[in-house]
Formats: sequence, C-alpha cells, structure tokens
Amino acid sequence: MSPDVVVLAVLLLALTLYAVLGGADFGAGVWEFNTALQASERERALLYRAIGPVWEANHVWLIFALVLLQTAFPRALAAISQALWLPLFLALFGIVFRGAGFAFRSYAAGAVAQQQIWGAVFALASTAAPFFLGAAAGALASGRLEMTPDGRFTGSFLTGWISPLSIFSAFFAVGVCSYLAAVYLTREGAQINDAELTHLWRARALATGAWMGILAFAGIAIIASDAPVLWQAFRARGLPLVAASVVTGFGSLWALWRERFNLAVVGAASTVVCVIAGWGISQYPVLVPPRLTVELAKSPEEILRVVLWVVSGGAVLLVPALGLLFALFKRGATVGSRATDSGQAMEGGRET
Amino acid sequence: MGETETTAAVNLLMARSQMAFTLGFHIVVASLGVGFPVLILGAEGLWLRTGDAGWRELARRWSKSFAVLFAVGAVSGTVLSFELGLLWPEFVGTFGAVIGLPFTLEGFAFFIEAIFVGIYLYGWDRLSPRAHWWAGVPIALSGLASAWFVVTANAWMNSPEGFVLTDGVVTSVDPLGAMLNRATPTQTTHMIIAAYMVSGFLIASVYAWSRLRGRDGIYQRRAMALGLTLGAAFAPVQILAGDFAAKMVAQTQPVKLAAMEGQFRTEAHAPLRIGGLPDAATKQTRFALEIPGALSWLAYGDSSAVVRGLDAVPVQDWPPVAVVHVAFQLMVGAGSALFGLAMWSAWALLRRRALPRSRAFLGSVVAAGPLAVVALEAGWVVTEVGRQPWIVQGIMRTAESVTTAPAVGLLFAATLTTYALLGAGAVVVLRILSRVPLEAPSHVA
Repeated sequence: MSPDVVVLAVLLLALTLYAVLGGADFGAGVWEFNTALQASERERALLYRAIGPVWEANHVWLIFALVLLQTAFPRALAAISQALWLPLFLALFGIVFRGAGFAFRSYAAGAVAQQQIWGAVFALASTAAPFFLGAAAGALASGRLEMTPDGRFTGSFLTGWISPLSIFSAFFAVGVCSYLAAVYLTREGAQINDAELTHLWRARALATGAWMGILAFAGIAIIASDAPVLWQAFRARGLPLVAASVVTGFGSLWALWRERFNLAVVGAASTVVCVIAGWGISQYPVLVPPRLTVELAKSPEEILRVVLWVVSGGAVLLVPALGLLFALFKRGATVGSRATDSGQAMEGGRET
Repeated sequence: MGETETTAAVNLLMARSQMAFTLGFHIVVASLGVGFPVLILGAEGLWLRTGDAGWRELARRWSKSFAVLFAVGAVSGTVLSFELGLLWPEFVGTFGAVIGLPFTLEGFAFFIEAIFVGIYLYGWDRLSPRAHWWAGVPIALSGLASAWFVVTANAWMNSPEGFVLTDGVVTSVDPLGAMLNRATPTQTTHMIIAAYMVSGFLIASVYAWSRLRGRDGIYQRRAMALGLTLGAAFAPVQILAGDFAAKMVAQTQPVKLAAMEGQFRTEAHAPLRIGGLPDAATKQTRFALEIPGALSWLAYGDSSAVVRGLDAVPVQDWPPVAVVHVAFQLMVGAGSALFGLAMWSAWALLRRRALPRSRAFLGSVVAAGPLAVVALEAGWVVTEVGRQPWIVQGIMRTAESVTTAPAVGLLFAATLTTYALLGAGAVVVLRILSRVPLEAPSHVA
C-alpha cells in the first residue's frame, strides 16, 4: 500500500475518533443548552464530571487531524481553508468558547453568577461548534465548492459553502453529538448506580436515537439529489458501510432498550464510525471535491514516510497514555464509588 | 485591478494584525504552560520530601490556576493552528509539508500533555501521592517538547533549509534538515528559557503583590520564593542564549540584525546603539548612545568586522526598522533589569541566607512579572517584524501568502472581542480561585 493511502487512513481515523469522543463532549454541552431551565444540579454534576478529565485530550484529535492534513496534503488544507473559511472560523469561535466556558465554569466554584454565565457560554458554544463543523463537512461532501483543478477556490467566500447538504449536515452533526452524549451518560449514570439519572438519559437517548434514524434516511435522500457524484460512489462502494451503520444504529437503540449500556455505547460509536468511513471510501481518491485528488494534493513521498514513522513512534507513547486516562476515569462499575469522589473534585475547588 | 490591490493590502494588514495579536496572546499563556508545571511539581515534590502540608496546599491551589490557564492556552493554540491555513493559505499550501514534521511531533506532545493534565488535575484523590507527582512529569516534559517543536517551525521561517523549490512547488524535502535548521538551536533555547523566566517571575510577582498588600504569610513567601528561584535561575543564562541567538541572526538574517541595531550603513567598527530612534526616511538612528566597535565585536567577535547595514538590500526588502529597533531595546532592557533582580536575590541569599523583605525588593519582584512579559513580547516582535516583508526569509513574501477571502477586518474585530472575553474571564476566575481561604491558617505567620 502506498504511504499516502496509509496517511489518509490515519487521518480518517483521527477524524472519526474526534467525532466519537470529542463529539460526545460537544453533545453534553448541547444537552446543557437544551435542558438549561429544567436540569437538576445532580444531572449537571454527572454531565460535567463525565467530560472534565477527558475533553482536552479528546479535543486534540482535531488538532492532530489538522497537522496531518497540513503535512501530508498541504494543498487540500489550503483549498479547504479558503473555500470553507467562514464555517471553519465560526466553528473555531465555538471551540474556543466551549473550552474556555467549561474551564471557567468548573473553576469558578462558589461564584454563582460567574458559573451561570460560563455554563451558558459552554452550552451555546458546544452547540455552535459541531453545527459549523458539520456544515463544513457537508459543504465538502456536496462537491459543490467551485474551484480550479489545482484547488484554488473560485466561488463566493460568503455563500459558496451553503447547500442543502451542508445545512442538513450542520443539524445532523449536532444531533449525532447529542445522541452519543446521551448514550454515554446513560452508561455513566448506571456506573454510579443512579437509577433516576440512568432512566432520564436512557429516555433521552432513545428519543434522540429514533429521531436521528429518521433524519439519516432523509440525509440519504438529500445526498441523492444534492450530491450526485457522491451518491453514485455511495451506491458503488459505500453500500456495505451504509448497511452496517443502519444495523449498528438500530443495535444501539435495541441495547438501550434492553439496558445493556456498554453495548449501546459500542453500537452508537460504531454507527458514527461507519458513516464517516462510508463517506471516506466513497469519496476516495478525491480529497477536496470536485477535483482535488489525493494524487494532486499529497506531499513528496519522503514526507509521507516520515509522517508514518512519527505516527507509529508517537502511537507507542499515545496509546498507553490514552489507555491510562480512560482506565482511570471511564472504567465502569468497579470504580463507581470513587467516581463520586472525583465528581466533587471536578466541581473545582469544592474539595478544599 | 486597483480595487483588488487595495483589498489585498487591507487583507495583509488585517491578517498580520490578527496573527500578531493571537500569537502575542498565546505566547504568554503557552509560556506559563511550559513553566508553571515545573513550579507545581516543585511544590508537590517539597510536600513529598518534607511532609509539610503547606506545600501540598500550594501545589493543589496552583494546579487549579494552571487548569484555567491550560484551557485558555489549548483554545488559543487551536485558533493558531486553524489560522495558519485560514489566513496564509499560500504559505501552508506551498510549505506545509516542509514544516509538517515539527507540527506533527508537536501534535503528539500536545496530546500527551492534555492526557496527563486530565490525569493530574482529576487524579489528586485517585492516585497515590508519588504516582500523582509522576503524572505531572509528562506535563512538564511535553510542554517543553511542544515549545521546542513549534519554535523549530518558526526558526525554519527565519532560516529556510531542507527543501528544493522548482517553479514555486516543493519537489524534494529533507524534513529533519528543515527542522534542524541553523536557527533552531539558538532560537529554541532562547524561547524556552524565556518561557521559564516568564512563568517564574509572573508567579513571584503575584505573591510579592499580595505581600505588599499585607497578606504576608508563609504561604505567600514560599510561593514567591519558588517562582523567583525559577525566574532568577534562568535570567543569567538568557543573556548568553540571547547573545548566541543574535550571532546566528547576524549570519542567517543580516537585514534583521541591521534593523535590530538601527544600522543603516554597511561599515567596519560598527557601534552598538543603546536606545535611539531609527528614521528610515533619513536613514539615521538618532538619540542613541553609541559604543564604537561594540556591534562588530558582539556579532562577529572582532571589533573591526564589517557589519552589513540595511543599505545592503533594496528599501522594499526592509522591515519596519523603528519597530524592530525599539522592540529589541525593550527586550534587552527588560532582560537586563531581570538579571539585576536575579543578582540582588542571589547576593542577599549568600549574605543573609534569606531573600530581602524590604518594600523595595518586593516592589521589584512585582515589576519583574510584567517586565518578563514585556521582554517576551518584544523579543517576539523582533523575530517576526524583523523578518518582514518575508513570511519565509528570502523566499516567500508575506503579501504573497495572505488569503483573498473578504471581511478579514471584520474577523479581526470579532477576534479582539473574543480574546477580550477570554482574557477577562480567565482573570475573573483566577481571582475567584485566589480568594478561596487557605486551608491551614496556622501556616499564616
């Protein structure tokens, strides 16, 4: 296999992990936004405790994908940056205020007004970030960005990214994030043996999941009409993954229904993996539709090889470190009682 | 045609302002990200060694402030990684691959840092004290590594090496050669020492201020002493590192050196100008104290050496001379003052085995924090403005690489608002944290 394909696979993996892990952190904020007036303090505590130790690490997947794109396919990054500068900047504002809002809210313990302001900022920004990232992804997938064969954007800088698919993707991304968050929080509620919260998040996850299923079929219709090139490729190569995403999606709902929450988490995450992989495989070898291909955008071979060496070497450090992080904070019922302790620590300052 | 030229000029100004502002913000927070963990580990280590709970409290409270600063640094760093492509698409499109290696490595370092920040901050009650201390070590190490990798990319912009350019397309790359360019050793050392100095002096400054205002307990004294130790230890080393960096600039970027020194004419026995204001129109640096031959000696180790002046290149290749010269003077001045404070502290420690408690000394420590930040920012201005009009020295002009997207000015306004909120929020939350009463009032003497 040529190195550019391997780097591309790593890039897709990083984006997928960002969606599955970072997406759920955004989703928690979306729920904070949706339930601003009704959420109980206990409910909030579970939510903030769940993302506290991991959100910064989860966020790095995006940075990682960005540097990989810059290093391995610099022309693609330049093209995307030009064509999608507006949704990307808007997403960036969301990302900035999400992170700052979360940290400020967590550590402004005791200052109620500050906590309310930054909690609201966190909630709103967590919704804006996936919305505009989703819009950018949809604009890219639609194949409607006007550019020269070498990736120079010739369309409108203000409206060039807006298409039915980009608008659909914006809402879809927010929905996916909320579904992931609801499923994960159901599991975390069960881990601390809080029947009430488990029940609440299970109901929310089931309702969101059902809606997302309907929305997904609408999405297929929009792709068929708005992105004919992608649609052809979907039918030629993406079908198995589309089918798999339907199966895992329904599987996660079934697991939620049967209260098998670990399985539900795996199912929900797998659905997202299948959707992104299906998109990637269908679009290959085009990197920035309609015309900028991997071949045109890729860096010289020696760079790609160095990238692969660095990624392999880095993974040796990264994988155990990530394993430690998730083992400490996400490992389930055996540390259930201790999870409550850290929940207090999370509230920032309350433990002193 | 005229209209697009104006748009391009406005875009260039706005994109440069945006980049300068966001980098100028991030460089302070990022420096704290490099240096602060060292202090926290120091305090926690002293607790492990002495069993004195006061040190533990210091480490614990500091770790919360660090959490706030790290979050701000993480998001302001994210802005930068997006901005590189969004504001300078031609630069990234052409040279992204050449400087990709350090950025990829930095990505990994940031990853490790973020993971262990999570473990450290939320692991106080989950890990044994010793394990918890060790969980902080990767934060300090990866912060250091991040700084090193990122600055190698900037060093490459100053001293571009390790690639072949054919008709504007990079055809062959030696990524390691690009990363280890000639400017890398001096520039990375200079920056990392600056990061430790800024962290040390800023934190010492905060507690010196508390002490001057009457909160003068053992907690504040320890906190100030730890910060001052870090800052003062690196202040003398920085003078040497700065000298090496300037000698390298003399070799790789003689025009930048000429601007730094206000040297318009190429001449032997070039004088060192202290202070003064260069006037690019009359090609003179006025009001400066001149030490004959000293610049030749500093740059080349020979007081009769020829120093290339700005006249060696056409005027359109000059950086804004006055800005670079004044920034350089500010940096050197602030650095020298910090060196003086370090010497004062060391002398007092040698003579009396204790830091002075006079108001004059505490006042100087208060000033040291802002001074270190001034030196940092001024040094950053020297290296960035001093490279203009180039984004890649001698190869790509900043104007060639800027985006053609509209409304870059509007974006800059939005960015200023965002960062004002970000900065204000961080200050408010840090103040809230500082007002939480101390756990062990018996320690407050």
